[in-house]
Amino acid sequence: MKIGNTKARKFFNLLLFSLVLLVFCSQASGQDEEDGGSIIFTKPVKAVIFEHSIHTEQGLECDSCHDGMFEMEAGVAEQNDDFTMASLYEGNYCGGCHDGDTAFASNTRCTACHIGVKGYERLTGGTKDSGGGH
Amino acid sequence: MKISDFEKLKNEGTEKLPSEERRRFLRFGLAVTGVFLGGSVLSLTSARNASGVQEKKSAAGKFPYKPHYTMVLRQNRCIDCERCMEACVRTNHVPSYGYRTTIMEQNRAAGDDRDPLFMPVLCNHCNRPPCVRVCPTTATYKDKETGIVMMDYKRCIGCKTCMAACPYNARYFNEETRAVDKCNFCFDTRLSKGKKLTACAEACPADVRIFGELTDENSEAYQLIHKPDRKVWVLRPETGAMPNVFYIND
Repeated sequence: MKIGNTKARKFFNLLLFSLVLLVFCSQASGQDEEDGGSIIFTKPVKAVIFEHSIHTEQGLECDSCHDGMFEMEAGVAEQNDDFTMASLYEGNYCGGCHDGDTAFASNTRCTACHIGVKGYERLTGGTKDSGGGH
Repeated sequence: MKISDFEKLKNEGTEKLPSEERRRFLRFGLAVTGVFLGGSVLSLTSARNASGVQEKKSAAGKFPYKPHYTMVLRQNRCIDCERCMEACVRTNHVPSYGYRTTIMEQNRAAGDDRDPLFMPVLCNHCNRPPCVRVCPTTATYKDKETGIVMMDYKRCIGCKTCMAACPYNARYFNEETRAVDKCNFCFDTRLSKGKKLTACAEACPADVRIFGELTDENSEAYQLIHKPDRKVWVLRPETGAMPNVFYIND
């Protein structure tokens, strides 16, 4: 009887936990749909991350960037030949704000956006087939 | 008894020593130095007095070499795009389980994964290379002309002692050639064919890897590390290996 009780409590706890998790997840995914979530660019270099949430939290609206600097559709910018650092320095794409006045300049804090192949593998869950020296 | 006292004793020679005694002594020595428990072969060498990093030490062969190749790494520019690694693999036929150069990742502070640091690592082509010192067959050696730490694959017996001795983890065992392989600044694949840059330096889109000569005052590499107000560092200076790969920011 006692054991049954503990089991029941355990089951209840589990149920409660999964419920909370469900609510949390649905909320999170709802937010993603709302603001586009994380965009990972892999061209011209692997890889650059853009977090919508970080930018909207600072009061930016959708039309602050869309459709002027970036198309609504994800991944359009990186198909362009001028999606480069040089272009950013001229005020295009991210460089529209990341100019040192509105936001940190494009030629500073490289790894704030450039997450590298390692960051990309971590986010996409891929495993790199590269061993160590030993 | 101190080591200095031992040095005054007369050498009794090894002729009269029974092999059982010798074996026991060796086993004891290995246990003490922890070779069985992952200690390096370097710990087998005799003890010497502690000395600072600054102490002048003799290099392997004449120094500087001509040309004295170096690589300057502008670390804060590295974004881990790994084009250098791809170029190296293509140029030098590096298998997927090994590397001649790699990128390491580090957080700026514990628990803070914003703006991580990326650090390219490769063979440092040391002036006093520990790998060369421990190689039992002289398969790895300091090139007399360029100072590049090279491999003679035919002589390598695959004992991997050099891999244990390298302070930079810059060597791997190639299963196909059954020999240890490492960065040689693309000497066979590029430099000897007249190309001026290593494959990794050419591939880097952020100008992180500046390959050049320490003996040429006009080379970019020389100038980058000879600015008086610039902080220049090397990896693991305490090993006394005198590396030829330098790190700077910007």
